Amino acid sequence: MLDSKIRNQLEEIVGQERLLEKPEELICYSYDAYLEESMPDLVLLPVTCEEVSKIMKICSSYKIPVTARGAGTSVCGASIPIKHGIVLCFSQMNKIMEINTKDRYIIVQPGVVNIDIQKALEPFKFFYPPDPGSMNVATIGGNVAQNAGGPRCLKYGVTADYILGMEVVLASGKTVRFGSRNVKDVTGYRLSGLFCGSEGTLGIVTEIILRVVPLPETIKTILVTFDDLDDTARSVSDIIGAGILPVAMELLDKLTINAIEDSANLGFPREAQGSLLIEIDGVKEACEKEMQKVIEKVKANNATSIKEAKSDKERDELWEARRSAFGVFAKLAPDIFSEDVTVPASKIPSMIRKTVAIAQKYGLKVGILAHAGDGNMHPMIPADKSNKEEWERVEKAFDEIVEAAVSLNGTLSGEHGIGLAKTRFLPLVMNEDSIEFMSVIKKAVDPDGILNPGKFV
Amino acid sequence: MKSTVLQNCNKCGLCLSVCPTYKVLNQEHASPRARLQLINFYKDKKVLSSIGLKEIISKCLMCGSCAAICPSGINHYSQFMEMRTKMRHDHGEKVAIKSLIFLLAKEYRIRLAAGFAEFSQRIIPDNFIEKYNLGNIPVKKFPKLNKKPLRKAVPEIISPEKSKKGTVLYFTGCATNYAFDGTGFATIKILKQMGSEVIIPEKQTCCGIPMLFHGARDQAEKNILINIECLSQDDVKAIIVDCPTCGSALKNEYPALQKQLNLDDTAVQKISSKVIDIMSFILQESDHTDLFETSVKMKVTYHLPCHLKNGLKSSYNTEKILREHPGLEYIQAEDVDECCGGGGTFFYEYPEISKQMVATKLKNARSTGAEVWLTDCPVCRINLSGNLKEKDNMIVKHPVEML
Repeated sequence: MLDSKIRNQLEEIVGQERLLEKPEELICYSYDAYLEESMPDLVLLPVTCEEVSKIMKICSSYKIPVTARGAGTSVCGASIPIKHGIVLCFSQMNKIMEINTKDRYIIVQPGVVNIDIQKALEPFKFFYPPDPGSMNVATIGGNVAQNAGGPRCLKYGVTADYILGMEVVLASGKTVRFGSRNVKDVTGYRLSGLFCGSEGTLGIVTEIILRVVPLPETIKTILVTFDDLDDTARSVSDIIGAGILPVAMELLDKLTINAIEDSANLGFPREAQGSLLIEIDGVKEACEKEMQKVIEKVKANNATSIKEAKSDKERDELWEARRSAFGVFAKLAPDIFSEDVTVPASKIPSMIRKTVAIAQKYGLKVGILAHAGDGNMHPMIPADKSNKEEWERVEKAFDEIVEAAVSLNGTLSGEHGIGLAKTRFLPLVMNEDSIEFMSVIKKAVDPDGILNPGKFV
Repeated sequence: MKSTVLQNCNKCGLCLSVCPTYKVLNQEHASPRARLQLINFYKDKKVLSSIGLKEIISKCLMCGSCAAICPSGINHYSQFMEMRTKMRHDHGEKVAIKSLIFLLAKEYRIRLAAGFAEFSQRIIPDNFIEKYNLGNIPVKKFPKLNKKPLRKAVPEIISPEKSKKGTVLYFTGCATNYAFDGTGFATIKILKQMGSEVIIPEKQTCCGIPMLFHGARDQAEKNILINIECLSQDDVKAIIVDCPTCGSALKNEYPALQKQLNLDDTAVQKISSKVIDIMSFILQESDHTDLFETSVKMKVTYHLPCHLKNGLKSSYNTEKILREHPGLEYIQAEDVDECCGGGGTFFYEYPEISKQMVATKLKNARSTGAEVWLTDCPVCRINLSGNLKEKDNMIVKHPVEML
């Protein structure tokens, strides 16, 4: 519980309306899209940088834990206040400050939802490429904190590749600014890269300058099916290996396709062992040429059918089906365990084989779903958390999947983050000195450890 | 691979993107996900019942958009309804809402009240009517009540115009019966033209939804039983509704309550399978184009009610007819399928939130330049027309009145 004197000081900053303290309100900020829960002592909804700065000054002088939150869609528990204290929720600090497509940037507050950035840019025929699955809900502040990805990051890169500058409130309450409105800028350290992906452990981002790009002239989308999952995976490695760069290349196995068909009946081939959803964009001629090369590669790997989307509507349907994958899987059991390990493109076939074998070993169902082009795997295990014995098997399988990825020069997480979910695996990919180096930075910036404590650093 | 188990909320947050209240307030504690979590905490006795809890549970339009988008297929609707019952039990209800429930629970009370209100509308001094608002809506803008309830103005059995192509039951709902008889007359006229014998069961009464939304399940039960009885008629090919909320009550909520209220399962399922909104029924029957009145020439726009979209799952039928109709120039509003903020009594209970929702609707409808704003739902209709300004020169109607 927070001392009433401190509480009153905080109320003076944000006012009564934006300070939450009743149990039924606090509960609503005790969770995100991860499996755990932890109650905050107080929730504040700041709307300006000044408010954040004042709040941080108080929190640092009393050493109160502060966990920043956007829309609470983290799947690794990054926004769960595991050490209690204060949740700073940014969902109401959601103004778009400037749109400048001539100079190709947009300036936003952290609470702006990703999809609202897309909508604001559309009239100018521009877009902001990172497209996490939660883009209709998730805020850009959360995207930045987690260095969010998405299907089209294969071609366009992830959140960190689009940050030109940012304004950050430090643990001390001081406000610092890095970067500028310029794509080229080597003035000082590139600190935006340090804060992006720091999961709120180093500072509180209060404004972001994002690079934006023109919408492509043409988009071509195909759905390819295979009789063999190995052929499917090899096609991915071959396409990437040949220097072709699709916007997205999504892999779905038989179990996943059938789960989608059961709920939506989109006419996906149920017999196929593997399917690839491939999208190419750019100027028309280049698109056609690239697509030709893609088709050669999948044919060489025994593709059984290739279907091109004939209209925007057909294209939307294919993507709709892909996006529904998580949901339809979630319906197979009370809970769902979704993974995020990532391996180099050439290792995709072996990673898939290993995943299937691990699931078999533990008697679990697994759906293989992947942003395959960049090796970002999302195997999904439907299970029942209340069934202790089954859940133990799920956790063991999960451990082995992570170990398998690491053994293939892969990494723990492609786009979901470490948060509460994967801290214990860090030593698998980082040596002691590397982990210690992160702590050195953390201590220098946040000596009292008040920013999102209890997470990976 | 059909699911048989009860799903857990995975807390993915997708429901936040479609929740009208969340979109206005941008607060997790005004989101469907939060309401579900609180219901779970309450069940596990990790949070106690309180006025604050009731407030969070009630600050919801019951539009059903969260359930429609939920990847885990959770039925938010019935969970919310059950929780509302508990909260009403623990903390009571506002006097105005209580009176509404009291009225709707007995047909004769509705009739008396409507008669009195119709009378009052004539005798209440104009300066009172000019001055007062109910929620956002000026009292003077509420619909004038029917001189005579629709069901008293027409016979119980109406013969078709030409050769009989079957019999339909018409569930008029309270709004059409007491306030919007124009919708009722138009519905009957079209059904007759289509060759339907129309039966309007005399005993039918309020579908029960307003009571269920406010947690008054016991009061709703009696109405539900009466309606099941008078709608269970053999040799009827459809049960026509003009109100999407009544429609989704008959189609979805009665079956959902079957176990709890020990309703006759066969009867409930039969009714559910026959319920259809008038616009979809017109579209479904062949040769509907000859029903169009071609002498009209009008620019119209449309608002898709949430319960038509999420309850009756009939998102496109009305618009399809509007596009086909040679006498109408249909211009789609940008946010045609966004909630208007009416939500039963939401506009009365949370006028500040409702106002923000309807403001965007008004802006987009105005920019279509339409003379008539069509919508199938009577509450949407009251909310939209109540918020239009004199200078807007736009009237709100049920689409069936345009054929």
